[in-house]
Amino acid sequence: MISLKALRKTPFKSLLIFSSITIAVMAIFLISSVSQGVIGMYSKMIKTDGDIIITQKGISDTFFSNVDIGLIKKIDKLESVASSYGMIVGASPIGHIPIAGIYGTTANHFSHYKLSRGEYPKDGEVILGANLAKQFASQSVNIGNKRFKISGIFSSEIGFEEGGVVMNIEDAGRLFNRSASFILVTSDSPNNTDNIAKKIALLDDEIEVKTTQNFVKEYNQFKIIENSSLVISTLAFAMGLMGIASVMSMIVNSRKEEFGIMRALGKSRFFIIKNLFFETFIMSVSAYLFALLLSLGILALLPHIEMLQGYVNGTLSLSTAIYVLASTLFMALLGSLVPAWIASKTDPILLINQGCA
Amino acid sequence: MIKASHVSHFYGAEQVLFDLSFEIKGGEFLFLSGESGSGKSTLLSILSTLLKPSSGELLIDGESVDKIKNIDYFRQSKVGFVFQFHYLINYLSVYENIVLAALDDKKHNIKKILKKLGILELSARYPNEISGGQRQRVALARALVNEPKIIFADEPTGSLDSKNSTIVYGLLADALKNGTTVVVASHDMRIENYATQIIRLKDGQIL
Repeated sequence: MISLKALRKTPFKSLLIFSSITIAVMAIFLISSVSQGVIGMYSKMIKTDGDIIITQKGISDTFFSNVDIGLIKKIDKLESVASSYGMIVGASPIGHIPIAGIYGTTANHFSHYKLSRGEYPKDGEVILGANLAKQFASQSVNIGNKRFKISGIFSSEIGFEEGGVVMNIEDAGRLFNRSASFILVTSDSPNNTDNIAKKIALLDDEIEVKTTQNFVKEYNQFKIIENSSLVISTLAFAMGLMGIASVMSMIVNSRKEEFGIMRALGKSRFFIIKNLFFETFIMSVSAYLFALLLSLGILALLPHIEMLQGYVNGTLSLSTAIYVLASTLFMALLGSLVPAWIASKTDPILLINQGCA
Repeated sequence: MIKASHVSHFYGAEQVLFDLSFEIKGGEFLFLSGESGSGKSTLLSILSTLLKPSSGELLIDGESVDKIKNIDYFRQSKVGFVFQFHYLINYLSVYENIVLAALDDKKHNIKKILKKLGILELSARYPNEISGGQRQRVALARALVNEPKIIFADEPTGSLDSKNSTIVYGLLADALKNGTTVVVASHDMRIENYATQIIRLKDGQIL
């Protein structure tokens, strides 16, 4: 097949196209995957632990929300409420680590964190996520201005938690000067969550009550991350795609002499376009698959890089993979076939002379 | 066979051919002679349909070139072209370069022609693995494979030594004996010995 021979006989040009497509595709994969991963971790943390979330009214970020923990007693008395717990989420320097997540929670939620060593924390104690624990050999750790005894190590599927600290909500309250960032409620009647949410909303004028599904959809931080990542990845991808189109276009222009010879030999425009299509298709798809494999490899490594403490995680969705494949093929074909089509309309002898110039 | 009527050509604003009219009969060996820049290569490109003239008409076998429905098939089946710099495709072997040009029902000619030109043993080699003279013979084989009615050659010996030049002239003369019309543009006056018709060009005009 002529297409394969052309690729094999011009290894440097082929490598140039292959590399530029690979880098462009990896850029979009990694940027969008990491942002999807960050959103995925936080939303999983909220969604898996409750059906309803209560936050402070008018506060868009759970880091700044302050809800009265005393509400839990009233909530637990409501019909169809199975359990509820309060949580404070914050971030602070921990020992020599400049910043890490801190999760203060009521005791009934400790079982969520699977202990691999030690005991759940009492007052003045903390348990460390497995990733964070690798950074500490001592029995105690400074958080803020206070020293806490390390009572155990836990593991979690959620990267944020693996790189963080869990303590009593009272201790976290003193650290961050609040009662609870939010309260999560589990219903024993999943179809009745909207009704329960309405009843909870009546308990306090200063709270906002949502199902966790709706909260994740509407959470401002997720929208900011999503939009930022969309802008960055779109720009990176657009630049990458323009690069692909430019490289393809330059390569087609450098082959004008060859197209002129083919036209002089009586080969049709369709013959030239068809062969170039296959060349571009083979190159783009193989570069895409290589980029996909590399990206999946990097994403699989991310949670295990100690420096990142498990905070950076990536999730590559099928829709992103398909979208990137379609865009890559479109731009590569556009970059090669349009100049080839224009060139093939030129008189053969002029093409040959242009190619020699 | 070929009739050119009032053919003129411009490159941008510069006129390179001026109202040329002449006729080439079938089975002739036409020598287009002239100095560099006289317009002979441009005229050859126009006669071989590789370049549209700015004005004038070209008839081949009584049919206007502008009205040929499938110009690609016409070029492949009726015309053979030999360039000065052979213009072989580098990523194809000698054999594949000729296959690329060959019509399906003429592929059986390939080995016969390669043998006749003494380059059969080079079939699997690539253009950058053979000498200039061998490349020009491959280009000639490519031009002959479809047994065209007309062969056009632009300075076919321009990059060859005397020995290889004589081989190429001999091959063109052989084609002529087989009834093929041969049109050669060159400033090599030795071609006069083979020519049955000569057109001398100077500054785009017939002397």
